[in-house]
Amino acid sequence: MTDAPIYLDYAASTPVDTRVWERMREVSERTCANPSSTHAAGRQAQQLIAQAARQLAGLLNTDPGRLFWTSGATESDNLAITGGARYRAHRGRHLVSTKTEHKAVTDVCERLAQDGFEVTWVEPRADGVVDPDDFAAALRDDTQLASIMLVNNETGVIQDIEALGSICRDRDILFHVDAAQAMGKLHIDLAELPVDLMSMTAHKCYGPKGIGALYIADRPGCHVEPLLYGGGQQRRIRPGTLPTELIAGFGMAAEIAADRIDDDLVHLRGLRDILWGGIEEVAGVLLNGQQDGFPGILNVSVTGVEGESLLLDLEPLMVATGSACNSKTQEPSYVLRALGRTDLEAQSAIRFSFGRQTTAAEIDFAAARYRSAVARLRGLAPGAAA
Amino acid sequence: MNGDPYSARVRAYFAAPAHAGELENGHSMLMDEPDVRLKMSAAVERGTVNAMRFRAWACPHTIAVAEAVCEALEGRPVTDLLEFSARDLMEELSVPVEKTGRILVVEDAVRSLGRKFRDEP
Repeated sequence: MTDAPIYLDYAASTPVDTRVWERMREVSERTCANPSSTHAAGRQAQQLIAQAARQLAGLLNTDPGRLFWTSGATESDNLAITGGARYRAHRGRHLVSTKTEHKAVTDVCERLAQDGFEVTWVEPRADGVVDPDDFAAALRDDTQLASIMLVNNETGVIQDIEALGSICRDRDILFHVDAAQAMGKLHIDLAELPVDLMSMTAHKCYGPKGIGALYIADRPGCHVEPLLYGGGQQRRIRPGTLPTELIAGFGMAAEIAADRIDDDLVHLRGLRDILWGGIEEVAGVLLNGQQDGFPGILNVSVTGVEGESLLLDLEPLMVATGSACNSKTQEPSYVLRALGRTDLEAQSAIRFSFGRQTTAAEIDFAAARYRSAVARLRGLAPGAAA
Repeated sequence: MNGDPYSARVRAYFAAPAHAGELENGHSMLMDEPDVRLKMSAAVERGTVNAMRFRAWACPHTIAVAEAVCEALEGRPVTDLLEFSARDLMEELSVPVEKTGRILVVEDAVRSLGRKFRDEP
């Protein structure tokens, strides 16, 4: 193995599948029309979008008419939470979520709190999982919306969406799920799951950046107020000209995922086992999250090593750190802090995330690199043997 | 600008710090701050710093500056330790301004070493 870069940041973004690129090129060559136009070319674009909606709906086992295109998961989260909370505001202004959600959820909730909504943050267990009893205890008579992610973007922790959603369904509370990390990677059956709103994005599932979707269930009281105005597209829920090529690419990515979820999961489990097997013996290594979380993510902390130096010493591995050391904030991960990690433990966290193109040889190399980097940096630290 | 937060010199010093370690003879100073744990050691002979070493639990910029300090001060009069300023090194190594607090820990360690040699020659 050479020192060529090894991309292990699939949780941040995945490479676009070549079939997705081909589909987008084919669609852009076929029509340049605005899909809202009523002429033949516009209708053709509309059909291409409808086809993509069927592909995505097929992956999720739902009705294509319940899917609304957005610019990505951040917008979907904003639309679901703000739009849902505002739609239900006359019935109550209490929201429930957890401190381990993505910023696209926590920041929206905090913004709503400034607008007179009240938010209760449920503490997860040490393994990151939200206990359904704790969740139920946080709900009140005036709770109108709860938001829980399916797969955590930092730790890969998988929440029990079925249990949490059932609690919400019993109390007629809108249940939003951020599935940005899960769509196309885990089986999601929206015909069965008690989910009202679900956020998705294409670029974490081998699709293009700049396109996402929001699922809105077809049941009474399940609706969102729009955040944007200025056109009648998508039943006024999310107006704006639709990007036909991106949507077609998203549809293709969903179709490919539907065909290979099980194979992908077997591949990822194998890689995660190799990686964990290669580093778990390092003294002071801590697994952040569940032992049996999403297999495409492995997040580990280690004692006695500074996180930013570890990240640099791991090059040519392209991984993510649990802290934003290079930014001006320099804050340890709030997600890991919520799991009970100390600042120092959170600061040393490294998130490895892998995908379809990752090979076992690359993971072997990554494990060896991690071991050697930890050993070298510990040797540099005060207190090391001279 | 390629967006790399580390200059070539920071990368080089971080990757192969020739002065990492401790000295048997001489003085040492341990600084224990939230973002930096640093031990600087120096040995002086006839008023000249003849060896400097460091150990650090710190970010790459701090490690690089510690290494550069050792490199720069070896062979210098011991009184230079007292007057040491990290400002020029920060510029030379392109250390971002938000790391100033950490780099000042290195400066403090060097000056404290200088005081030790002055007070306990």
